[in-house]
Amino acid sequence: MSHLKAMASRALQLALVLWAVVTILFLMFRLMPGNPMAAYIDPTFTVEQQEALMAQFGLDKPLWEQYLIYLGNLLQGELGQSFRYREPVAERLMTLLPNTLILTFSSLIVAYTFGILAGAYLAWRRGSVVENTAIPLVLTTRAMPEFWLGMVLLAVFSFWLGWFPAGGTRPAGASYDSLWALYTSREFLSYLALPALTLAIYSQGLPLLLMRSNMLDVMKEDFVTMARIKGLSNWSVVVRHAARNALLPVMTSFAIAVGYQLQGNVVVESVFSWPGLGRELVNAVSASDYPLAQGAFLMIAVVVILMNLIADLLYSLLDPRISHA
Amino acid sequence: MTETLLSVRDLKVSYQVGKGSIDAVDGASFDVPRGSIVGLVGESGCGKTTVARALTRVIADNASITGGQILFDGQDIAALPEREMNALRWRDIAFIPQSAMNSLDPVYTVEYQLNEVLRRRGGLGRRQARARCEELFEMVGIEAGRLGDYPHQFSGGMRQRVAIALALALNPKLVIADEPVTALDVIVQRQILDQLRELQSMLGISVILVTHDISVVAYVCDRTVVMYAGRIAEAGPMDAVLMEPSHPYTMGLRNAFPDLKGAASGVLTPIEGAPPNLAFPPPGCRFAPRCPFAVETCTTQQPALGMVAPDHRVSCHRADEAAKLRQEAARTETWLADA
Repeated sequence: MSHLKAMASRALQLALVLWAVVTILFLMFRLMPGNPMAAYIDPTFTVEQQEALMAQFGLDKPLWEQYLIYLGNLLQGELGQSFRYREPVAERLMTLLPNTLILTFSSLIVAYTFGILAGAYLAWRRGSVVENTAIPLVLTTRAMPEFWLGMVLLAVFSFWLGWFPAGGTRPAGASYDSLWALYTSREFLSYLALPALTLAIYSQGLPLLLMRSNMLDVMKEDFVTMARIKGLSNWSVVVRHAARNALLPVMTSFAIAVGYQLQGNVVVESVFSWPGLGRELVNAVSASDYPLAQGAFLMIAVVVILMNLIADLLYSLLDPRISHA
Repeated sequence: MTETLLSVRDLKVSYQVGKGSIDAVDGASFDVPRGSIVGLVGESGCGKTTVARALTRVIADNASITGGQILFDGQDIAALPEREMNALRWRDIAFIPQSAMNSLDPVYTVEYQLNEVLRRRGGLGRRQARARCEELFEMVGIEAGRLGDYPHQFSGGMRQRVAIALALALNPKLVIADEPVTALDVIVQRQILDQLRELQSMLGISVILVTHDISVVAYVCDRTVVMYAGRIAEAGPMDAVLMEPSHPYTMGLRNAFPDLKGAASGVLTPIEGAPPNLAFPPPGCRFAPRCPFAVETCTTQQPALGMVAPDHRVSCHRADEAAKLRQEAARTETWLADA
């Protein structure tokens, strides 16, 4: 019963956060300098034509009325028409979202798998030469700007060695029966490799350092000492007890990292011409395509909020102290 | 089969601190007879926990056993290769920690943690392990229905019972209990101690009970070993050591605790001063700087652990004057005048 209640209050919280995001987005674009119609309306249009268009988009109505219409449309999943492409924003974004999600998740899964293992290993080898060289190295990867790293990888593996294509998701002119066929094709993987690697190198530092410092803390816990006194194998002590406990905050950080990564994608997607949400967002903003930018922002916000929810659920799944509290 | 299960001989344990080293245990010798509870008592930092942990050979990274022998069942486990020592752990020598809250892994159920020991260390099958879990819980007075609970779902006293159940899981010969009731309130303390005593005599195991609380020793122990600044001050049968202490430190400890039999004896007298810094131990007897009876020899020569009565050893230059010193020690002024 209390479980249901907790879920209900969590859902209510989500709805509130979502509403706040939606409202801020609405106000943000209306407070921005410049006329939203500038990109859409041909300068040769007459004043009457311009006003007719403003009326057609509902931009002549008072702000509160626009807000209500906007909310009503959102509830129906209607994100409006893109000024630039003259097509529904929702449709356009939905074709880009899978590209972004695939890039995000593949890079993060690589980063976290590597980070967790390496972090645990470095904690275990504390004070060794390996650790002393690895930590500055990791900090260096953390400090490198993503776009720079992306360009270096492009220069080396694409232009110089020619192992990987330079950008996009598929060879020019190639067509696939379905999205699934595209995403499972070998060509797609070779297109995915460099941008995913860039993001993975950039992202592995957080889980690695987090896992390492958690491990160092947990290794000092009494239950780890007790596991040794029990005569359990090294593997049991380090993996079953120390790593299992050290993993809790790292797993939560994964879900939150997905949210951050979506923002980081903006840069890497631009470098690799990856047709995702991030690149679209940059283009939309620079082209004053407000409905599209607004929609992209909203979609990113929704993913971030959802991932936070997943982080909470994951934590209660992994830590009995939360779920049984 | 000898009468003595464990015999610690001149044990030395050092901690590496910076460039120097500190001898936290500097030549400790005592015996644990089979089927007895031995209280290892002393104030914080006297090395009692270090001794307890040295017996399992799971000690801090910067600590090492630098000398002496630990004869367990006639075998020197201080010199045993790690593999063989590990085979002994928990099967023969189990441990009850001070804080069962932190010593149980929070993310696993209690049954998982019992099973881990029963199956991985004891080689039991799934069904046998389940039956043993239920048996153990019955022994410590917790209903078997709570086996599936997580550590945080138990109260402090219950967790300590779980820790006892864990320690008894593989029928060890020796259980080392490191301050097992210190974190509990007095009523629960008594329950846990009663239980420990009952199980100990029922199973015929030996227990080393590490504590700073002399009343705990008086309540359950058969024998007492008093430690001071890394050395043994006095060791012998509990009654003899506590009722007729021969070391001034033990006399002082007696004065500093409420009367053991519960009779209101009036004022408690503290031992003034603090234990010596073990990085620079005083020459001679380590208690000398705080001892109201110290004479010149005490500050220059280290006293040997000598026999005052059969089975009762004391490390004091004036041990043969013990009866007289006891009378003086009973007076509060003796301890205050010296401070």
